[in-house]
Amino acid sequence: MDMYLASVLTNMTLIAFLALSAYLVLVVGEVSFGQQAFFGIGAYITASATALAGAHIFWGLLAGAIGGASCALLLGLLTIRLSGIYFAISTLCFAELLRFFLLHLRFTQSVDGRIIGPDGPEGFSNIRWIFENHYQVTDFLLLAVTCLIILLIVLFSLERSPIMLGARMVGNDPILAQSQGLNPTRYRLSFITLSGAVAGFGGGLFALFNTHIEPAMFGVMLGIHGLAYAVIGGLGSAVGPLLGVFLDIGLLESIRPLAAYRMIIFGGLVAFLLVFRPEGIISPRLVSRLKSRWRNRHV
Amino acid sequence: MDMLQTSIDGLMIGSTYALLGLSFALVFGIMRRINLAFGACLLFGASLAIYLEPILGWGAWGLFVVTIVGVALASAYVERLCFAPHSKRHGAVTAMVASFAVWMQLDEISSQLLPQRTHAFQGIEVPNFWWGEIYVRGDQLLHFVIALVSILVLYLLLYKTRLGLLIRATADSPDTAQLLGARVPWLGFIIFLLAGILGGLAAFMILSADGYVTPLFGLWSTFKGLIAMIIGGVGSLMGAVIGGLILGLVETHAGAVLGAEFRDMVTFGLVFLVLIIRPGGLMGVKIYRTDSLAQERV
Repeated sequence: MDMYLASVLTNMTLIAFLALSAYLVLVVGEVSFGQQAFFGIGAYITASATALAGAHIFWGLLAGAIGGASCALLLGLLTIRLSGIYFAISTLCFAELLRFFLLHLRFTQSVDGRIIGPDGPEGFSNIRWIFENHYQVTDFLLLAVTCLIILLIVLFSLERSPIMLGARMVGNDPILAQSQGLNPTRYRLSFITLSGAVAGFGGGLFALFNTHIEPAMFGVMLGIHGLAYAVIGGLGSAVGPLLGVFLDIGLLESIRPLAAYRMIIFGGLVAFLLVFRPEGIISPRLVSRLKSRWRNRHV
Repeated sequence: MDMLQTSIDGLMIGSTYALLGLSFALVFGIMRRINLAFGACLLFGASLAIYLEPILGWGAWGLFVVTIVGVALASAYVERLCFAPHSKRHGAVTAMVASFAVWMQLDEISSQLLPQRTHAFQGIEVPNFWWGEIYVRGDQLLHFVIALVSILVLYLLLYKTRLGLLIRATADSPDTAQLLGARVPWLGFIIFLLAGILGGLAAFMILSADGYVTPLFGLWSTFKGLIAMIIGGVGSLMGAVIGGLILGLVETHAGAVLGAEFRDMVTFGLVFLVLIIRPGGLMGVKIYRTDSLAQERV
């Protein structure tokens, strides 16, 4: 496979994790500007685990996911009273504070004669796991896509379960959900935590693939991109965020002659698209209509 | 003495933050919408002004006029494309994401207008002076006065004119205002224009005090405006003014005590604490408790 194509595809796969984590928060009716922080935390933890402690990639990614999840849980607990714009702004502040923490995190060690570890604004270089294990770009792409597919299978099976139905109900109307005996706070907390785990896992893969990470990569722009992908794609199904990622990175970044004007075209296009499909391309309404048509196909 | 000097500097800077906060509070308080493209509009206005300056040759006053007109135009464009189509109750997230998309677009247009990283931005020349022991920058004093005057004009507009009455009625209850004959969509457009003019003023003052423009100005001013609004209390115009002044004071003091590096982080930490402990902000507590705003989705 062409190297350029493979790296674009890998990037899309990695950003898809971020978009899916934004999607999980949107499902319970909140907007988060802070998913990039969990992505960053996951990246740092996985990088430290594999490069500094010499852990296997599986444990490294698991640690990244757990790290992202615990940060998200902390945020969820702190902002338990907030919703709407208050929640959105507090996620933004939380993410910036975490980034500031990363900016001042210095813990370098000498491993095999190389200085590695987080080094303040310089970031974390020499994450050499993929070189040491002789992974090609295409091998890594395969690994990332496999992880994404497993995540999608989990999300799809959740979609049919009472958990997701409850979460959607909480997202639509918390008071109505409460009157049905659901506990909105519990749903909110667990989905925010889950979103942190997804973002942390994606961040871990990102660190392994990029081999260099720095706090500046995890700015608010990254998080808002993830959020935008989820909204453009639609909240009807977990495929929505992937579609959003594909539209931006896949279609437009690959058309190189347009590179300079990419954002002018894309920005206008998205705003225009949202006029006609305000709930995203794969909206909940579209999904339920398709489902009922599928069910009635023999009638 | 240093303390006093820092406080005065903080108030001067805070007055421009107050204008940024007011623009946000106008849009949020009245339409319950967040315009993420706000900073990008400011950047666009400033870029347009610098781009046109050699063609027009009007100097600092030309920059002043073109910046304000450019920001107001961009703001009107954002309203038409991102906010007017999503005026229904559940359109808030969609409108926000649409405004984010336009943010990217305006950023790109600005960087096409100004290809370099930094561009000089000429201010209105005013001599600096010592007032007793305190050093006062003439341009900042002028900006402070301009900010106060524009806040006063906004107050008169909202509380003493028929248009202001309509706007306040819409803020209270859009449905009732519509039933009583107010043209709510048109008012939305007017509000974005007003926010654009205020933002343009703030952009001119901040940039001429700094002396240069960078592409990061857009994101920066969106943050400052949002934070000023949140500190003061969402939905309260007075709160946004006070929030802006507090933000200026906190920033300069934190910068003086802890160093410039910590300045932004102290602000973010403060906002996070305010939100956790006192979700309504300083002025908005009553609004937060009584209004449905707290339960409302973005």
